[in-house]
Amino acid sequence: MAEATVIKPDLDFVKGVIEGGGDSLKKCYQCATCTVVCNVTPDSNPFPRKEMVWAQWGLKEKFAGNPDVWLCHQCNDCTAYCPRGAKPGEVLGAIRKQTIKQYSSPEFMVNFVNSKPFIPVMLLLLAGLLSVAGTFGIPDGEIVFSKFASTHFLQFVFTPALLFGVVVGVLGVKKFWADMKKAAKVSSGDMGGSISATTQEILSHIKFKSCGVSADRFTSHFLVFYSFIALGMATALGVLYIDILHIESPFSLTGTGFPVKIFGTIGAAGLLLGVLLMISNRFKNAEKVGVGSYFDWLLLTIVGVIMASGILSWVTRVAGIAGVAYTVYFIHLVFVLSLFVYLPYSKLAHMFYRSAAICFLKYSGRETRK
Amino acid sequence: MSEQQKTVLVIGGGFSGLTAAVETAEAGFNVVIVEKTPFLGGRVTQLNKYFPKLCPPNCGLEINFKRIKNSGDITFYTFAEVEKISGQEGNYEVTIKQNPRFINDKCVGCNACTEVCPVEISNEFNFGLDKTKAAYITHNQAFPFKYVIDSKNCKGKACAKCAEACKYDAIDLDMKPEAVNLNVGAIVLATGWDLYDVTKLDILGGGKIKNVITNMQMERLASPNGPTSGKILRPSDGKEVNNVAFVQCAGSRDENHLPYCSYICCMASLKQATYLREQYPDSKAQIFYIDIRTPGRYEQFYWKVKDDPNVTLTKGKVAKLEEDTATGDVLLTAEDVLLGKKITARFDMVVLAAGMVPSTVASKIPTDISYTNEGFIMPASLKKGMFAVGTLKSPVDVARSVQDATGVAIKSIQSARR
Repeated sequence: MAEATVIKPDLDFVKGVIEGGGDSLKKCYQCATCTVVCNVTPDSNPFPRKEMVWAQWGLKEKFAGNPDVWLCHQCNDCTAYCPRGAKPGEVLGAIRKQTIKQYSSPEFMVNFVNSKPFIPVMLLLLAGLLSVAGTFGIPDGEIVFSKFASTHFLQFVFTPALLFGVVVGVLGVKKFWADMKKAAKVSSGDMGGSISATTQEILSHIKFKSCGVSADRFTSHFLVFYSFIALGMATALGVLYIDILHIESPFSLTGTGFPVKIFGTIGAAGLLLGVLLMISNRFKNAEKVGVGSYFDWLLLTIVGVIMASGILSWVTRVAGIAGVAYTVYFIHLVFVLSLFVYLPYSKLAHMFYRSAAICFLKYSGRETRK
Repeated sequence: MSEQQKTVLVIGGGFSGLTAAVETAEAGFNVVIVEKTPFLGGRVTQLNKYFPKLCPPNCGLEINFKRIKNSGDITFYTFAEVEKISGQEGNYEVTIKQNPRFINDKCVGCNACTEVCPVEISNEFNFGLDKTKAAYITHNQAFPFKYVIDSKNCKGKACAKCAEACKYDAIDLDMKPEAVNLNVGAIVLATGWDLYDVTKLDILGGGKIKNVITNMQMERLASPNGPTSGKILRPSDGKEVNNVAFVQCAGSRDENHLPYCSYICCMASLKQATYLREQYPDSKAQIFYIDIRTPGRYEQFYWKVKDDPNVTLTKGKVAKLEEDTATGDVLLTAEDVLLGKKITARFDMVVLAAGMVPSTVASKIPTDISYTNEGFIMPASLKKGMFAVGTLKSPVDVARSVQDATGVAIKSIQSARR
């Protein structure tokens, strides 16, 4: 006979899931409708039915090295067909928040960045730093944003912030990867091939296409994803022009700024459309799925404010309304800084963990249904 | 006590209504039964066997029909509906609409009208598994044994082939609806249940896959008086079936459909697995369930069926059915929860254990009644002297409906005496 299994429920984990948007967790009665209607789960040890019972029982250790919560793209087909209103899609989202906590250090940052004081603290921090730099205020004359926050200031504050976010994320993924290997008892695989296949999958957004009830998420995520890439390109080129090539800033009002402004404009427009779509989708599915948790909304809010303040600061700068332009630009900077710090501790951390989970699925050779 | 006040009206002539009627009549009261369909017996007439004893339902029905004939105190109106109820306990005024049957009491059941009738209609008694004519009788033990003409599809006097063929002058195509007024002391509501509409179950084929049938269709397939004379053959090609899946909770226990357990479907599927296993010795039955619910002593029936090595019980709700158009087979996808594996399996035929819906969801009784969110009658909301029986209050099996109806008989007698 098999040895007795002693279950050690971690009640704080359960509480964390419930508070993090998974309050429907306990309604699940394990019928496995969710696993069947899910179009992105592998056939062996499919999700999300097993995750639901693990989370109900507080089996936190089961989630260490569990790629499946990240393979979930929150299509919410499971939630739409769930006969009990247990909302597996939302619960998995809340579990993801818990696993981010497990893998990101320092752990307390997860709670901090997802709490309400986060943005005000970032605002005060940036205002303080700008005061130290001596540029906090509305400068006179032609509106040039570098008079408010100099290029050097941006590089001293924002580049380390971004690096910090990326490093924490990468370290988390390293731990996660090791745990996944341990949990699945996989020691080796085709790393190069897996990374290449994962990259293709992410770039093509193919998994989003298999979503049923919320197939429209493909468009919104696609837009936001590629807009960020375009905006990243614009920023990187700007850095290249100003700091490395030492040529005229592509961000001046008069110059053509080719091709930086093209990337910037496409990115801004795409982001505007993408964010609006995301918000409208969320309300469209609200009846069945719910409008989402604070954890969900914070990311959308940050991205939305970055988009809106970016566009507004540009418009007011062109219009020559200095007071508004600098204020909005300051808000823009606060949210960009927040985004960098927020990166590894938040819903945005999915870019690390979901990529790693998809890659591990291929690396470990677990079959998926066509 | 006047003669009038001794009458009890029973709405619905299914097993519950019949029981309430004969029990009341045998206590010396007049009873009127009003039945919407052309025949008495209700859902039970459509069953092949009762669980758990697996005896044919006609035994029980015949006894009740005999009791009706013997009592002399029971009047029944088939093909009739209650249109209006007013008054109070001891003195209800009820208007009944007698729909035209187009066939009078001279009918001897010779089948000549059916033979000449040119209009084919879907056979609703067999849940659409076969066709019947516009002049028809549902089955060979129908009571009253009197044919009926479907007014919606009959071409009327322009055709009149049936009237020519009838040697007994039993066909009257001029029949009109008639109103009947009654004064009764008490009213028993026994209008029973309907099967959940499986076309709403989109992931289970939405009623479009030929070899995905309902549990009630399975009863008809297995019934000696059914469309295949009791041979279980699949609808698409009439092929004998060798492996059949049963999908439990097809609509039940689901907040998107029926947010309650329909109580009888697990027993029905276990029972139907025995139909299959008896008819085809090598056949296999696989029952996919969330939980097998065999309340009370029915547990023993569950054990008995489970002991058959060719009956597999798999935990995992089926959430995908697809048709293999080349073969007509059904591809079923479920998670085998105990194995932790998503499986797709091929079956000759799939039976949906569809749930039970109170008939009052489709047609309300014309009096003030409060219903639950699911459409069941809230007994406390009924006026004095009105009593609901069986599946109008909650999904129940035949045995419990009978017990309930017997209890209601005494309640209605008390009201009729007031």
